[in-house]
Amino acid sequence: MPPLIPSSDAASVPGVVPLTAVPVGAVATLHEVRDAESRPVLKSLGLTDACVLRLCKVGDPCIVQVRSTRIGLSSAVARCLFVVPGGTDGK
Amino acid sequence: MPSAVESSDAASSPVAAGVRVALIGNPNTGKTTLFNALCGARAKTSNFPGTTTSIRTGRVEAADGAGPLEVVDLPGVYDLDLDSPETRIARSVLDGGRGTAPDVVLVIVDACNLPRNLVLAGQLLARGARLVLALNMVDLAGKRGLTIDAHTLAARLGVPVVPLVARTGQGLTVLRRVLDQAPGATGPAASEAPPAHDNGMAAWADALAAGVTMAGGPGHALDARTEQLDRLLTHPVWGLAAFMAIMGALFWVLFALATVPMDLIEATFAELGTLVERLMPAGALRDLVAQGIVGGIAGTVVFLPQICLLFFLITLLEDTGYLARAAFVMDRWLSRFGLPGHAFVPLLTAHACALPGIMSTRLIPDARDRLATILVAPFMSCSARLPVYVLLTTLLFADRPAAAGLAFAGCYLLGGLAALVTAKLFGSTILKGRARPMILELPTYKTPSLRNALLTARDQGLSFLSTAGTVIVAICIVMWWLSAYPKVDPPARVAELRAAAGAPGVSPEQAEALGAEAAVLESRAAQAGSFAGRIGKVLAPAFAPLGFDWQLTVGVLTSFLAREVFVSTMSVLAAGQAETDVNDGVVAAIRGMTRDDGRPVFTPSTAASALVFFVLAMQCLPTLTVTRKETGSVKYAAIQLGYMSGLAWVAAFLLYQGLRAAGVA
Repeated sequence: MPPLIPSSDAASVPGVVPLTAVPVGAVATLHEVRDAESRPVLKSLGLTDACVLRLCKVGDPCIVQVRSTRIGLSSAVARCLFVVPGGTDGK
Repeated sequence: MPSAVESSDAASSPVAAGVRVALIGNPNTGKTTLFNALCGARAKTSNFPGTTTSIRTGRVEAADGAGPLEVVDLPGVYDLDLDSPETRIARSVLDGGRGTAPDVVLVIVDACNLPRNLVLAGQLLARGARLVLALNMVDLAGKRGLTIDAHTLAARLGVPVVPLVARTGQGLTVLRRVLDQAPGATGPAASEAPPAHDNGMAAWADALAAGVTMAGGPGHALDARTEQLDRLLTHPVWGLAAFMAIMGALFWVLFALATVPMDLIEATFAELGTLVERLMPAGALRDLVAQGIVGGIAGTVVFLPQICLLFFLITLLEDTGYLARAAFVMDRWLSRFGLPGHAFVPLLTAHACALPGIMSTRLIPDARDRLATILVAPFMSCSARLPVYVLLTTLLFADRPAAAGLAFAGCYLLGGLAALVTAKLFGSTILKGRARPMILELPTYKTPSLRNALLTARDQGLSFLSTAGTVIVAICIVMWWLSAYPKVDPPARVAELRAAAGAPGVSPEQAEALGAEAAVLESRAAQAGSFAGRIGKVLAPAFAPLGFDWQLTVGVLTSFLAREVFVSTMSVLAAGQAETDVNDGVVAAIRGMTRDDGRPVFTPSTAASALVFFVLAMQCLPTLTVTRKETGSVKYAAIQLGYMSGLAWVAAFLLYQGLRAAGVA
């Protein structure tokens, strides 16, 4: 499978880190989805711009919780999610 | 349970004719459970025209002061703007693109997950749909400490809101009444209308949900339990172990329980065939009824126990919420070959029989992934191949049971390998586009509904009988006719042998031997003279490079009906009797078969070639029928037949010629 992340440095925007860099249990605000193909599906599941999510598990699958929805993401997709740590857990 | 129907005009006159209701909702909201609770056994499943997506329609009879309803169960969708086959179907039905547009749209929302579910409701309202909102699983929401103010929600949306628990039937009577009145009702204007454009829909849903939800209670404790279970069930090691244990149990139950009704069906139809032969005068009509029709129906109905039981068990498992976790466990392995994690259940099921295996691909959400799985599922060694494997491995390794066992296991391995390689190949050719990286909602763990599972099993069984089943019966009859007609006169030698057997002074043992020889000659002549035999002789040159003579070619042709027919065909040709069990007598008789020039039919190289051919070939017309039905196209059934037959021929050719070149007879 080809890499989904463009070669540009993910952390070039201050405060933005890959989702996989957030500690398990932490809350973060979604900044960007760098996978155009997965973006509509993620949006339909509630992973919208600036939504607050909680990282429940890393690895394959990576599990995040957005409000009351638990979403499993293959590691390839999880690597394309960039977040700003912190936010108010809205669940 | 309080309902919130005040926002609609309950006093308005109900529509006298049946109200057409489209049932829509996010996946995992209990939509199927609600459909089953409303329609019960009065539902039928069919593919949406030209697609692999099934759609169910049902009727709710008039009762409790409410009129009849026609309910269309749309595929589960999260977002009407998403570009997917399921969403396109939902939009088409809602717009009346496939007939009459629905009078009412019943949108089911999960009370535990209101913000995301309200996005779909908002999109429907923005499209101008006449909506009734079923607020499902209010019991689970209560356990999580969530209380939804349905009255306020109804007032803000301007649509009737009915709290219910579809699993137990709580709230259904109110829902029936509301649906009955909805087409003629006029409710107050919504105080919080959704935005006209999709931008801002999520924020609108969030704000609306926050305004009607009161939280407090043990929600976090439940989340902690869910997280513990998720960590275990998706763990690379423990998740795989749990998966193997659960699937092992499922298939053990499937094999153990399905065998009983299958044996019963076979015995009943065998008795029925005997009864017909006893009651009807001898002749072509009796043969047609007893062997063609009764045999054909038996050959179809015998699949039912496996299909119904499999769907019953899978529905139970799906209801628990486990299957989404299992899909991730297998995705790690299968995605390397372009197959989704969901494909594991269909591929495993295909080891029992490709028919339920292919039907269970309905579990797979993505159409491309579903097609890829359907195309490769018949490579799995099904139970119908077992007698063929037993016969050919025994012929190959007569006195070496360990080697025979290894060859037997190798057949399963070769089939599985062929499936994976083919999936990879198709993924880069006819099914372009890689398997999508998996993104799945992990639904809440729930107690499954027995009624739901029973109704789904019944529904799938009927769907199989009414569509694929009728074609399979017809195929069985045609194949029987090709094998049985035209009738030919037995060779003169048969009469001589029978006369010799009845001559005075012949011992009973000699008479029996002479009679058996006559029977073999008669059967061989009948088989050779039949249409199947004649076609076999015509096609024999095409199979000669594989080491097959005309008799083996006839075996290949007749086994298109079902692979195990190969054993009975060869036993007819070898011993004059159709045997389905591979016992010592049958093996000895088949081993002794000779070609027209006196050389043995089965040499080690021929047996190995035939074994590889049967592992890889699409020798099953019922499977092709189901493929055509599930893909909605003859094209994919033709690709499956052409590719598998071609691959089997090439592999058998290479093996046979290689063995010959290596000096193996």
